[in-house]
Amino acid sequence: MAIQTSPAPPAPSRTPRAGELGTPQYRRLFGAGREVTIHWLTFLVTAVLVLAPVVPILYQSVRNQPLYAAGGAFTLSNYAHLFTSAGFGSIVLDTLLFAVLTTVFALAIAVPMAILLERTRFPAARLFGQVLRWPIYISPLVLAFGWIVVYGPAGFLTSAVREGFGWVPWNLYSLPGMAFVEAVAQVPIAYLFCANALAASDTSLENAARSVGAGPLRVLRSVVVPMLRPPMLYAGLLIFGTAIETLSIPLILGEPAGITLFSNFLYEQGIDSINPDYGLLGAASTFMLLTTIALVVFQTRLLKHAQRFVSVRGKATRSDLLDIGAWKWLGFAFVGLYVVFGALLPMLALILRAFTSLLTPLVNPFDLLTLDNFRLIFDYAPYTESIVNSITVAFVGAVAVTLFGTVVVLVARRSDFRFARLLETTAQSPHAVPGLIVGIGLFWAFTWMPGGDAVRGTLFALIIAFGIRALPSAYGAISPATMQLGAELDNAARVAGADWWRTVSRIMLRLLVPAMLASFLLIWTQMIREYAPAMFLAGAESQVIGTTAIDLWTQGETGSVAALATLQIAVTAVVAGLAGLLLKGKKHA
Amino acid sequence: MPELVVENIKKSFHGTAVLEDINFTVADGEFFTLLGPSGCGKSTTLSCVAGLETPDSGTIRVGDQVFFDGTPRNTVPPEGRNLGLVFQSYALWPHMTIADNLALPLKLRKVTKDEQRRLIDDALTKVDMAHLRDRYPHQLSGGQQQRVALARGIVYSPGVLLLDEPLSNLDAKMRDQARVWLKDLQREVGITTVYVTHDQVEAMSLSDRIAVFMHGRLQQVGTPTEIYETPATPEVAGFIGRCNLLEGRVGSTEGGTVQVKLGETGQHLRVVGACSAGSSATVGLRSERITLTDRADAPHDGAVNVLRARIEQCSYTGARFEYELSIGDLRVHAESPVRHTDGEINLIVRPDDCLLFPAQV
Ligand SMILES: Nc1ncnc2c1ncn2[C@@H]1O[C@H](COP(=O)(O)OP(=O)(O)O)[C@@H](O)[C@H]1O
Ligand SMILES: [Mg+2]
Repeated sequence: MAIQTSPAPPAPSRTPRAGELGTPQYRRLFGAGREVTIHWLTFLVTAVLVLAPVVPILYQSVRNQPLYAAGGAFTLSNYAHLFTSAGFGSIVLDTLLFAVLTTVFALAIAVPMAILLERTRFPAARLFGQVLRWPIYISPLVLAFGWIVVYGPAGFLTSAVREGFGWVPWNLYSLPGMAFVEAVAQVPIAYLFCANALAASDTSLENAARSVGAGPLRVLRSVVVPMLRPPMLYAGLLIFGTAIETLSIPLILGEPAGITLFSNFLYEQGIDSINPDYGLLGAASTFMLLTTIALVVFQTRLLKHAQRFVSVRGKATRSDLLDIGAWKWLGFAFVGLYVVFGALLPMLALILRAFTSLLTPLVNPFDLLTLDNFRLIFDYAPYTESIVNSITVAFVGAVAVTLFGTVVVLVARRSDFRFARLLETTAQSPHAVPGLIVGIGLFWAFTWMPGGDAVRGTLFALIIAFGIRALPSAYGAISPATMQLGAELDNAARVAGADWWRTVSRIMLRLLVPAMLASFLLIWTQMIREYAPAMFLAGAESQVIGTTAIDLWTQGETGSVAALATLQIAVTAVVAGLAGLLLKGKKHA
Repeated sequence: MPELVVENIKKSFHGTAVLEDINFTVADGEFFTLLGPSGCGKSTTLSCVAGLETPDSGTIRVGDQVFFDGTPRNTVPPEGRNLGLVFQSYALWPHMTIADNLALPLKLRKVTKDEQRRLIDDALTKVDMAHLRDRYPHQLSGGQQQRVALARGIVYSPGVLLLDEPLSNLDAKMRDQARVWLKDLQREVGITTVYVTHDQVEAMSLSDRIAVFMHGRLQQVGTPTEIYETPATPEVAGFIGRCNLLEGRVGSTEGGTVQVKLGETGQHLRVVGACSAGSSATVGLRSERITLTDRADAPHDGAVNVLRARIEQCSYTGARFEYELSIGDLRVHAESPVRHTDGEINLIVRPDDCLLFPAQV
């Protein structure tokens, strides 16, 4: 390795001879350029983060003693125990049924809406398109609370309908009821996939069909719907996977009805039971993990083909939109009913509930206005603290994950690191690990590892747990932005004398600022809602909004839960607004 | 600065050979061009020199300083090679002003602030861009960006300047102007330059020497005159200028010339060169070295070849007429300042204007 040493600077007002200025000198670590160390460090940290929750679970599932206890031995009896335990079959079946129903409901709502809003002349299509995305920013937990306030057995509309007809045609505390609420939470995903596919697709096929005399409905049936098969398939798998791992709705809606899905089975085994069976919990977690991993692997296979359906939005001109005549009004009623009764009403009712002592059709809510619900939260320090904790964790976590994720992307995409591809896969793999599993696994990891007790139950542990879950999102937000930056930009810097790390810090990081802001916002909204890992990990001092809400819920403090949810929505909205302004400002600069 | 030596470079991507046994030496201060059709491996060669790609084997060095010899421990990373590189896309860093773009390589080399300013001014003045030093790249036209990219490539006085199709994003007229000042600039700076282009006119007018690339192999290295007058292979002849390549079989040989029978046409050409009788060969006829005469005016002294041809097509390009002719089943392209209307015509070709390529065995 021969690098010239820099000679003395040239005398002034003379052009240096070719090569006279020499090359920059860089510190070398372990006999190689410092980027080698950085690449390996990034890889090792990523691998440790991803494996930390998984390895203890796998290990525990084949031990006959708690993993930290001395003298345990290898066993397969945990699995035998799991598969033969009473109710295991019905839990698996109910979970599958729940996931299937959720997927069907979500697609049945989202697909017609995507077609109506993207492909037909529809009144106020843009406004509806925007409103439909809102549930993305609201957690399924909050949505479930909102639905209970309106449609629960003592809910506002339930009471009104019972009053009027003496009979209520729905039951929220049932498997289909749970699936419907989960579906409402997932509709935005399915809608975005289908709407993007339609927006990016070529309208000439439709025009061709129309020019040979096909009516608008015929065009929809034979040209547009088949085009939607790939995004429907992909969104369907995504929703199916989410439904299998979700904790909120099974916990809030399933528990009172005596319905146990796999996620609340894990929760009961791990937290509710006084004396948890570690081996059983390990085996059950492994079972869940393998299921979600299999789903994600399947999705990834499909995504290779489906990627083009989530591509950039093309622009269909107004004249390309189909006029479906009077059917339009049926469609309008469908979309309107869904938006009003599915998304808006539960949110409004929840917010109203936060400011009243009771919400019932019998009494004008404005006669019951009160701030007591908020007072309860702010008068009890641990509750207030949980809000501060959520904000802290989300802020620090979003900054940390965005920065680390950016470095991971740059090593995976913009370096000659030997295991770049493996790093990419590793960074994306937490996508397949349910929040509950991350919680259980990290709890055990901290119990197991020396000195881990000091970390377990702190905010730091939560940041790690939430961060692991969020890493794939950061990767997904930043990686496409690097693909927009030509490789010549880094190559030019390298040849001009910057080593890999200088190139990253002087060129790439600066150019990725907008993507990093977007990633920060995404992860912030994700983390402020996150709570599943905290169910296991959080100590008395490190509760978050979600865990406090569940705590209050079990105490029957519906009003305070509503108040907490309102605060969470408000904080999310404020930050989203600020970030929106910041991003807009950046674009104008 | 000593010479740049590239020896026996091989490179393949995913099992497909892209470069095979590339050898050339660029002398100090020389303007050396890699010329070839797109996809033939020119950029890959340049990237190997710059250190952005790693060859599979071979040696690359500047004087005694080895950049690459096949072993990882002797492979110098791009930042250690002290080269200048200008890309087709210019690759100016969009978040920095022009001056900052030029300052970065100097900052990395720990040049003092004053000296930086002086060198930046100097480089920008050389490309007539000093007045735009505080602009951002997106505020410049393509031609201006290209000049800035060049200034950034020379501001730190690298050992060798590498240029990858720097003019090909400019429109035709600007390209002609840019060619002129690029040549002037290189003379003025006196820097050893490796230039990549697929444009033979650029290559011929700029270069001291040209290396003609095809399918990942070097076909010929020589001065523009050598490349044009004595191309090493029919491919080179066909790529540089307009050259008709006619297949034939060698008949008799006499006194430094050979008689080549042209396919099944029944006509033959006397060509300066040596080739064993009975073997097949390709004859190259440059369009502008063919004289056309009407049938009646054919010379009969035997000092030149006379071929009978039929006019298939004649097009008027302003300066001259271009003809598509047929000799039996052979197609020939020719030019003439005169318009010939007859269907039949004579081609007059001097034996020493013909290029003889014995068939490869
Ligand atoms: N990174 C790469 N991976 C695979 N193939 C490549 C890569 N870079 C270049 N090639 C292939 O190598 C050949 C030569 O490319 P290049 O050097 O860019 O050609 P030129 O610059 O002469 O147009 C082309 O066939 C190209 O497709
Ligand atoms: Mg090229």
